[in-house]
Amino acid sequence: MATAEDIKERIESAIPGAHAEVEDYTGGGDHFRATVTAMAFQGRSRIEQHRLVYEVFGAEIGGAIHALALKTQTPQDDASPVKISSQ
Amino acid sequence: MSGTEPHTLTDLPMAAEPLGAGVPQPASAAGSNPIRDAITEAISEHKVILFMKGTPEAPACGFSARTVAALQSLDAPFAAVDILPDPRIRQELAAISNWPTIPQLFVDGELVGGCDIVTEMYESGELAQVLL
Repeated sequence: MATAEDIKERIESAIPGAHAEVEDYTGGGDHFRATVTAMAFQGRSRIEQHRLVYEVFGAEIGGAIHALALKTQTPQDDASPVKISSQ
Repeated sequence: MSGTEPHTLTDLPMAAEPLGAGVPQPASAAGSNPIRDAITEAISEHKVILFMKGTPEAPACGFSARTVAALQSLDAPFAAVDILPDPRIRQELAAISNWPTIPQLFVDGELVGGCDIVTEMYESGELAQVLL
């Protein structure tokens, strides 16, 4: 059974520079909701962006992972009004 | 539901062969894969077609229900295929679309997306535009 933290780590290690926020929204370890922000999405259609994330999990999607709801964006799309930058 | 046009793949010899009988065939062998052919044909025959769990009247999954609701609230006519009756429908669809989850919405023969993308497009107004 996966945790939201597992899903987050796998996305972030597979997609260079990605930042993922993952929620296990049933608490059952098989239904997740993720918002993924990555430069790798730049210039790709939404379909292609979601495919990049699905590919991290292969056949687990629809198998052990029943659902992975996705929102993908590039850092520029991140519409959060509060920007905290360090360095 | 007005405008909803159920599309069934029941003309297929689905029960006539054991599960997986067609799998060893190369995917490129024309005519060797009736389920794949029927899916491809359904996608090309219908401007808007939704592959879902259950039916528009009785969706069997919340993601399918949400996608149907988006289409219906735009009064968009669409064909619907229930993928639950035979697991091969889902397998073949995933192979055709390179998309692992259900539902899947196709417009003009192209995959538009699953529930997340359709919902985002509905909220931004893009969905109404592609359905025109």
